[in-house]
Amino acid sequence: MKENNPLSPHIQIYNWHISSLISISHRITGIINIILITLICLWTALLLLGDINYELIQKFFETFFGKFLIMGTVWSFSFQILSEIRHLFWDLGLGFELKTSKITGLLVIFGSFILTIFVFILGRNLIL
Amino acid sequence: MVQINLPPNSKVQKGKYYKDKTGSKNIRKVNIYRWDPSNDENPRIDTYEVDMDNCPSKVLDLLNKIKNEIDSSIAYRRSCAHGVCGSCAMNMDGKNGLACTKPHKEIKGDINIYPLPHLKVQKDLIGDLSTLYKQYESVEPWLKNSKKNDDKENLQSIEDRSKLDGLYECIMCACCSTSCPSYWWNGDKYLGPAVLLQAYRWIIDSRDEERKERLKKVADELKLYRCHTIMNCTNACPKGLNPAKAIASIKKMLATS
Repeated sequence: MKENNPLSPHIQIYNWHISSLISISHRITGIINIILITLICLWTALLLLGDINYELIQKFFETFFGKFLIMGTVWSFSFQILSEIRHLFWDLGLGFELKTSKITGLLVIFGSFILTIFVFILGRNLIL
Repeated sequence: MVQINLPPNSKVQKGKYYKDKTGSKNIRKVNIYRWDPSNDENPRIDTYEVDMDNCPSKVLDLLNKIKNEIDSSIAYRRSCAHGVCGSCAMNMDGKNGLACTKPHKEIKGDINIYPLPHLKVQKDLIGDLSTLYKQYESVEPWLKNSKKNDDKENLQSIEDRSKLDGLYECIMCACCSTSCPSYWWNGDKYLGPAVLLQAYRWIIDSRDEERKERLKKVADELKLYRCHTIMNCTNACPKGLNPAKAIASIKKMLATS
């Protein structure tokens, strides 16, 4: 075969399915979560250095970007946890049928947003 | 390695446009990936206007019609036309499948036909599957049994036989392997869903005596564990099999043995 044979198009033309979308999101949120945990650790370390830092960070959290970051963090962790539970069931050999995996996939997507809202309500002391 | 963009010689260009000559009112546009090995041009997408009033129901019929009536230079593999041989596996409407079992009515809008993804193209819709066949050979897909009783059948209980259901039906069309992003990025090392399903078919066979050796051979970070349960394979399989489940079963056997 000649050397210059082209490579057929792959990711450019292939349809996204719920399962492939969640798979890539699972990886991305995984990487983001590592960064977020590092940031949370830094935040706690800064608190030990005095109350000026606390006020500084508090002010940052009051801004739109700060709020977005907090909600994003909650969603990222929610998604990762739910998706990981799905993976644990797969490891047991359960839920591989196309229909089941589609339903659990949708549960992960919607569940991650519901969990985010739930944590928001909990954090605002609106319930409990 | 992950390479999102196509190499320069694989960039797809706009190709020729074949206008309908029959004067039919029921026309669909069919976009087909073309590459001619006899010149140095990049691949292109040719567009054909096809008279749908005189076209049978499947995508393969559509291709045959184009080849017979519009452009005889187009190349693709086909043989049985009944979803048994697996020759006409290709990417239709962004999803892998067999052209002979896929009704074109299911596709909305223009019909886009590409070769199986991430393969070296030999011509038009024909991809080079030699790596996959070598990998298939590497799992030694034959019965290994030391018993020599040529005059008797090698019997299996109904229960043991039923374990092969959903595995023996595989026709090695490569729709699943070429739909798998993991196989795109690590196709030289990762065995891919088709070959792993075949590996599992021999691992689980009660008549085979080398289950342990087979498991040991496949238990490899790259050969097996590049599967991240993306499930594109199961979504793509034109025979309705479940390679993702077969791979998970191998992983489970390795974890529990």
